[in-house]
Amino acid sequence: MPSQTSAADLLSAELLAKLERMELVSRKIFRGRMKGERRSRRKGQSVEFADFRNYVPGDDLRFIDWNTYARLDRLFLKMFMEEEDLHFYALIDTSPSMDFGQPTKFHYARQLAAALGFIGLVRGDRVKVLPIGESPRRAAPVLRGRHQLWRMLEYLNGLEPGGTVALAEAAKGFCLQNSGKGILVLITDLMDKSGYEAALRYLLAQDFDIYLIHLLSAEEYEPAVQGDLRLIDCEDGDVAEVTVTAPLLKRYKQTLHAFIEGARDFCSRRGILYFPARNDLPVDRLISGYLRERGLVR
Amino acid sequence: MPLDLVNMLSWWQWLILAAAPPAIIALYFLKLKRRPLEVPSTYLWRRSIEDLHVNTIWQRLRRNLLLFLQLLLLLLIMLAVLRPGVKGARLVGNRFVFLIDNSASMQATDLGEPRLEAAKQAARETIERMQPGDVAMVVSFSEIAEVEQEFTSNRRQLIESVAQIAPSARATSLREAIKLASGLANPGRSANDDTDVQVAEPKPATLYIFSDGRFADPAARLGNLEPVYRPIGADAASNVGIAVLNVRRNESRPDQSQAFARLENYSQAVAEVALELWLDGEMIDAARFQIPPGESQGFQRDLGPVQAGRLRLAITKAEFLHEDGGRCDDQLAVDNEAWAAVRKNRPANLLLVTPGCEAIRLALTTELAGQLANVTIESPEVLDKDGDYARQAASGAYDLIIYDRCRPREMPHANTFFVGALPPISVRLPPDREAGEPEKVDLWRAGPEVAGPRIIDIDAAHPLTGWLDLDDVLIAKARPLEVPAGGTVLIDSHLGPLMAVAPRGGLEDLVLAFSFLEEETGDDGAVRRFAATNWPIRTSFPVFMLNLLHYFGGGQAGLDTLSVQPGRQVSLQSPAAGEPLQVIAPSGRKVALPVGDLGRASFGETDELGVYEVRSRGAAVDFFSVNLFDPAESNIAVRQQIQLGHVPVEGRTAGWQSARRELWKACLLAGLGILLLEWWVYSRRVSV
Repeated sequence: MPSQTSAADLLSAELLAKLERMELVSRKIFRGRMKGERRSRRKGQSVEFADFRNYVPGDDLRFIDWNTYARLDRLFLKMFMEEEDLHFYALIDTSPSMDFGQPTKFHYARQLAAALGFIGLVRGDRVKVLPIGESPRRAAPVLRGRHQLWRMLEYLNGLEPGGTVALAEAAKGFCLQNSGKGILVLITDLMDKSGYEAALRYLLAQDFDIYLIHLLSAEEYEPAVQGDLRLIDCEDGDVAEVTVTAPLLKRYKQTLHAFIEGARDFCSRRGILYFPARNDLPVDRLISGYLRERGLVR
Repeated sequence: MPLDLVNMLSWWQWLILAAAPPAIIALYFLKLKRRPLEVPSTYLWRRSIEDLHVNTIWQRLRRNLLLFLQLLLLLLIMLAVLRPGVKGARLVGNRFVFLIDNSASMQATDLGEPRLEAAKQAARETIERMQPGDVAMVVSFSEIAEVEQEFTSNRRQLIESVAQIAPSARATSLREAIKLASGLANPGRSANDDTDVQVAEPKPATLYIFSDGRFADPAARLGNLEPVYRPIGADAASNVGIAVLNVRRNESRPDQSQAFARLENYSQAVAEVALELWLDGEMIDAARFQIPPGESQGFQRDLGPVQAGRLRLAITKAEFLHEDGGRCDDQLAVDNEAWAAVRKNRPANLLLVTPGCEAIRLALTTELAGQLANVTIESPEVLDKDGDYARQAASGAYDLIIYDRCRPREMPHANTFFVGALPPISVRLPPDREAGEPEKVDLWRAGPEVAGPRIIDIDAAHPLTGWLDLDDVLIAKARPLEVPAGGTVLIDSHLGPLMAVAPRGGLEDLVLAFSFLEEETGDDGAVRRFAATNWPIRTSFPVFMLNLLHYFGGGQAGLDTLSVQPGRQVSLQSPAAGEPLQVIAPSGRKVALPVGDLGRASFGETDELGVYEVRSRGAAVDFFSVNLFDPAESNIAVRQQIQLGHVPVEGRTAGWQSARRELWKACLLAGLGILLLEWWVYSRRVSV
């Protein structure tokens, strides 16, 4: 059992209270396997009337509006809002590059995944939180219902950064194991030398409603380094010798900006909602402010 | 300019120096030790470096900037050790006196700009060639010399003082300037007396004269000043100027006045001149002349009845027709205008000193006489007292003093009319006089008394005796005059001259050989008075008295106002002793003048050209005008050679000689600059 402290580390009581009032929003119409608490954009069987449409042969005769038929002598079908559940996946990048920053980007990613997962659990959605990178020691549990919160937190606490699986490989593995319906939140720093585009394409192919939270540390935004340095990559041990000068720092910031803009552009072209995030912004402010504004939660 | 190098080091010293660059390069490669730092990803850093690598040469240069700077520094030090130099120019000597002419002729524009500006530019160029440690002083000179800057080695200060020299309209005197310069350059000699003995070791100095040479060659001693003359101006200069302007009474009609002017053409070409005459801002005449080269042209204009006003004569256009068909304009403006003040008649101040003579008193108290003169009557006792009379007579407060049968102890500063008495003027006889002759003799003498002289001749041409008919005048007795040299007999009798006039300085003395009233003490002791002549009851007498007032009184005092040259002193007379005067310059500037006991004041701020007004108690009492009227300044052709004492000085276009200019200091300064730059680059790449 995870200790209470570690659980409180990930989600504070105040944050939980805030999150209870929220729900996840999907921009796509999904057919859940079970009736959920959510009103889907799909028309179906419920008590809430939605619209009329013309009758075509084969339609269920039970939904024909006989009153309209009596008045107009034409057949119309009554349509109702469908209520369904939602699949929610939170993918956390566990590559070593996430283990930087204060707090580490990995911890921040877990907090974020826990918070979003909790929202899903409260609303009766089907929640699955899983790492990408090295294959986890335990298979990620599929959770539903508020009482599963502790399982989710326990699982998240058990995760550790490490492994050097390329992002594309990890995405491919995920797609093979999980069906392509529902909301997918990918929390990563996109720091993969082979590129992140292939990974996103795999996920897109599965028709997920994808949200990409691009998490970078404050040190990556404004590096506080100076002098003659030998920079060592923590993932592949690559060494870059640099002499930090004002022009180089300026150039670094330009490159970073181009990197972020490139990712944003790639995502917006493909219908992925892209959120840049930094680890010195508190999680509750990110969710209640930024993600709410952009429509991931409401 | 070829670079000239001098080797200062031996071969082994060079060897050591040559070893320095490889050492620096070696140290540069050895020193780089990078600090390891683990980062999330080198992904972005690599891409940043790759971007920077696009312009690799610049990058390499940039990365090695410090190395290059160090090598450059070393190179500059090596160059400095080689003692580089170029062929340059330097002034002769190390002490200089710059004399800059700012007289009127330096306003000529024959060089396109005023000559003074060209002289200042030439002086600046010379100052810029001074070596560090050289000292110089700047003196501007016209009629007076002024020290603009004492000896200093500060070139900026010297150049500033040169820039501050303002043009003047004064005449030129180099003598003053040389006396000043030699006094300051040779401290042992006083500036005021060049016969003074030298008490200190004199230091030689070079005397630069920036002038057009329009001055009288001074007979000054140069001492150990080495003169260098820089003539400023073009050789052929075109100028026509007004040499004279004055206002005179018309000889034939005394109530009319005339303006006279003379124009001089100082150029080598025929001048076409347009002239305008203005009175109180109104043009009253215009004329156009052609003046042949080097000649002059008179100009005369009747001004009508005498009236007060300011007369201005201006050359509005002057064009010179050269033989080759070229034309050019007048190049000196300062002599193209002249002013004269026409003064209104003022009543004459007349003093009658008489024991009592009704005839004269009556003649002076007529209405017309009252307009012409303010008459004061005193008795002869005042002549022996030190009172108002003595002071005012000496100060020139009176225009005419009539001494009736009395004579002063000394002659007053006024015109005089002696009736039955002789002026107390004595002249000293030359030393080679014959034995027995007195040391002094009276100038005016009279013969023994004669009875009944008959008038035989009157000088009708003289204003005093014009219009007189003395045929019916009888004279009881008289003492015929011995007229001094230069005097004029006005009334002659068959026994000798009865009236004569003679000049005394700028004044005149009129003497009548008989009196109108005689006194005789009878046997009973009673004083009897009787008329000695019937002239006072003849019509000719009041006519003569009016002639007298016209001639000596305000009529003469008017019109002919003073004209002085710029910068000269003007002596002014206050109408009342102790009353301060105010002088209003042509620009409107007002100057208050304190007045001495004798009512005299001296005014020296006459640098502006034009008419000055003298006021007392708010009313104009006098005018004077300041005009250039100086042929030496108007003739603006440049002299290429001047004579200083006995030394002829040829004009030179440049006052310096070629010399080697050392550059090692500049090399070291550049090295210092590079050292600072290197430090800046180093601290910049470390601190960011």
